[in-house]
Amino acid sequence: MLDWLSQERAFIASVIIVILLITLLWSILVGLRQATYRAKDQVFGDPERTLGGWYWTLSGVSAILLLWFYFSWGVGRAFFPEAGNEMCQVAKVETAIAPIKAALPIDSRYFKSTELIVRNTEQLDVLESNFPEGVFSETEKEELLNIIVSSRKIIGIFSDQDNQSLESKLAIRDISQDLDELTDKLSKDYTKFNPSSEGLLQPNWGTTRIELPLLPITPKGVLFDDISKHAEVLSQKFLKLRNNSAAANSIIEATKQQIKRLKLSNEAADRSDEVLKERKHYIKAVERIFRRLDDGTIFPPQALDELNDSIKDFLRAIEGAKGNLRLVQAFFIPGAGVVKSKTQCTEQGSGRWLPKPTDVVAKFLLLANPNLENGGGYKGTTLFWWDWIEIADLVSFLIPDFLIDLLPGDYGVHSEQGLFVPNYKDKLQAFAQGDVYLGVIPMLDGHIWDSLFRVLVALALGIFLGVPLGIYMGISRFFKSFFDPIIELYRPVPPLAWAPLILTIFGIQDDGKIFLLFMVAFAIMVISARTGASGTQLSKIRASHSLGASNRQILRYVILPNALPEILTGIRIAIGVCWGTLVAAEMLAGTTGIGFIENVARTVSDYELIWVTILIMGLLGLAFDLLMRLIISRTIPWRGKG
Amino acid sequence: MRNLLVKSTAIAGSIIALSAASVSNAADSVNVAFFLEWASPNQISKVDKVYDEAMGVDVNWTDFSTGVQMTEAMLAGDIDISYSQGLSPFVTAIQQGHPLKMVAIAMEYEANDCFIRNGLGIDSSNASELEGKTVAVPLNTMADFAFRSYMSSLNVDTSTMTIVDQAPADGAKSLADGNVDMACIFGGNSSKAAGEVGTPIMTSQQKIDAGIGSFDVISVTEKFATENPDLLRTFLDVTDEANLAWEATDAQLAKVAADAGMSVEDTRRQMAGMIFMTEKQQMDKYFGPDGVAASAAAALGVVFSDSSDGAAIAKTIDSSFFD
Repeated sequence: MLDWLSQERAFIASVIIVILLITLLWSILVGLRQATYRAKDQVFGDPERTLGGWYWTLSGVSAILLLWFYFSWGVGRAFFPEAGNEMCQVAKVETAIAPIKAALPIDSRYFKSTELIVRNTEQLDVLESNFPEGVFSETEKEELLNIIVSSRKIIGIFSDQDNQSLESKLAIRDISQDLDELTDKLSKDYTKFNPSSEGLLQPNWGTTRIELPLLPITPKGVLFDDISKHAEVLSQKFLKLRNNSAAANSIIEATKQQIKRLKLSNEAADRSDEVLKERKHYIKAVERIFRRLDDGTIFPPQALDELNDSIKDFLRAIEGAKGNLRLVQAFFIPGAGVVKSKTQCTEQGSGRWLPKPTDVVAKFLLLANPNLENGGGYKGTTLFWWDWIEIADLVSFLIPDFLIDLLPGDYGVHSEQGLFVPNYKDKLQAFAQGDVYLGVIPMLDGHIWDSLFRVLVALALGIFLGVPLGIYMGISRFFKSFFDPIIELYRPVPPLAWAPLILTIFGIQDDGKIFLLFMVAFAIMVISARTGASGTQLSKIRASHSLGASNRQILRYVILPNALPEILTGIRIAIGVCWGTLVAAEMLAGTTGIGFIENVARTVSDYELIWVTILIMGLLGLAFDLLMRLIISRTIPWRGKG
Repeated sequence: MRNLLVKSTAIAGSIIALSAASVSNAADSVNVAFFLEWASPNQISKVDKVYDEAMGVDVNWTDFSTGVQMTEAMLAGDIDISYSQGLSPFVTAIQQGHPLKMVAIAMEYEANDCFIRNGLGIDSSNASELEGKTVAVPLNTMADFAFRSYMSSLNVDTSTMTIVDQAPADGAKSLADGNVDMACIFGGNSSKAAGEVGTPIMTSQQKIDAGIGSFDVISVTEKFATENPDLLRTFLDVTDEANLAWEATDAQLAKVAADAGMSVEDTRRQMAGMIFMTEKQQMDKYFGPDGVAASAAAALGVVFSDSSDGAAIAKTIDSSFFD
């Protein structure tokens, strides 16, 4: 079942997208109609106006999901599941002819040869004008300058079409003719091509770690794949192409000899290190330019004209052969298209860093699989599951070891026969350390539960300690003045700044993480409870006092209900901030938790995993907030109606 | 007044036009990424503009703080060559199918240390006692890789350990506090702190004997390698020359230290632990048949992902740009 779902995710996505589109349009229609109904009977600013409106929620959710589908290429994959594969084949062709294109003014403004000539001539000029005086003898200087002159000559010879050897002319012509053949092939009918069975057996787009299947799966893809193989051969041929000319060869040979002589003369006489270094450096610089020129990669522009035209035709033919793929790419696949690297094809642009919604769900299901042996869970822990835990472990947690140390008597030692018989103290010690079997109980286990546990405990502590303190700060001079500086001093400090301290004080167990979250929640709860308590109307307090209410009763029946709206809003904010701080808390010493997954995923830029953790945290935060809204509407229905 | 406005608008317009023009001419320059506080001999060539001179183009050096950022910049087309990118960000990039290739080894250095807390009485001879203990490891980094290499070389079963994901600074602190029994660390300051309270599980010699080491690579975009093989070749050539000319003299160290942003003493210490190999040495050790480059990259890939394909990573290693 899961496998089928995984294989057919493109189809499933297409159904979801259609449903989302219908939902979006329908909810907007409903919303607009409702808006016209009510336009006249509500005053602007009336809070009643925000009640209801589920249709706008629906349109908001479907709009964001549709945007996600679109920019993650989910729409493209859903309706054109073969487009990615075809784009990969086109990318293969583009990669294959890249070396030829790079030599021609196609993506750049100049021929590669022109650039080479300009660059090397400039360097020759610089070398000539910066000739080091007093390092070389007169004859050597003449010789070196001669090499520079020869280098310029070589450039001149290579740039003149008349000097080009027939052999190299023919080779270029060969390549452009072969390219023309490929161009012809591109414009012919490709429907008779059949993808190989191996290609058809590949997993679908995005179902494995390798995003796009490499082998072609459509007739059009087969065409491009075939073209790319031929183009690859042509590129190799082109890279080996040299501008041979008899005129240049003799100069090159002579210059090589000159350089060799100069290098030999370095070793002959004894010179100071400084001079030798300078000589070597200059000769090396001259040689470097010469060697760049002597391999014949400079061609006269006319020699490449034909090839240039062929390539341009070829590129045009590729665009033509793409056919409707061009439209698909323009409308459904935003971003920079597909790039073929050495081993695989990958999505570029938003498709790269924004995984498709269906892929995120698939990744989530993979993590949620409790079968750790079969690749479920993450780093050896399930996502949300349960496990048997030994009662003995709980006991050992509750009984400190040193209690047993205080008992009279000594711990046992092994006997002469090498036997160890535990005495009563050893047995108690084993009990306190959890080394006995007391049965097992089921317990929630997994990354989500661990994070949830930390957040909930911190929140509970924050509420139970923060609210009373806040209320007393709102009504008592001592509490307000005494605690104000402490709370206000630590409140603005970001939790991450506490991290090193907390690590040292609490260690690497859960208590440190919980304390970090608690500090965040506590400050918020204190402030909100204090604001709520101090905002109580004086007339209400005086009225209850004159009616004979005790201090306790005033607190319980007047101040607390008055502070409740602020407190509940504080809890809502605290929940959000706690989830937000979780990543920092679990960075302290990560063993489990959603923040831990996100921290590890970040180091290898695993975008799918990062999005899974973002969504889990977002959805859990949302669930808590919905719960709080329910509580708010039940406990303080009078809010905003006074 | 009005005249002034017209003039300034015209000037602003022409400035914009000029800057646009200079951007489109940027094909005439090569952009190289490097790390500050990570010294190498070729920084002398960098400062002396030997690269610019030899390649005949402007070579712009940009410093980065992580290898992952280098990858991102290369994908965005802002960087052509990354000098001394760590092996782990490179392998990560390849696993995600990014069009990069490894063309040379920048430097070889000792593997990151795992420090065992003093007083536990555990060293490499009785390392199996580490089973059941708690270890701080920055997961998915070279230190993680080193940790797994040590454990497999010493036959310790990692599944029995409690592995805690901690940044090096935190790991060192936890080791000092006694919360963990071993901490795997990278970075100078954290290593120093961990060394105060712990002892490396292997000495330098033991690491060499066990074949556990680290290296940084020179990576390039496939686009740059295809379009400008001559520039790449010259770049590697100049780097090789700089490595050959390195004698760690005071003058050289001072120059490198100034460029790396470190004190001369720290630079000397850091560079003493690094090996800058000649092209021939690299060919023999790293890029030959059964070369270390491919095997280490494959082994590292498995640490990051169970479904890693070593053969695919090996295809992105290309030593054909050596002269």
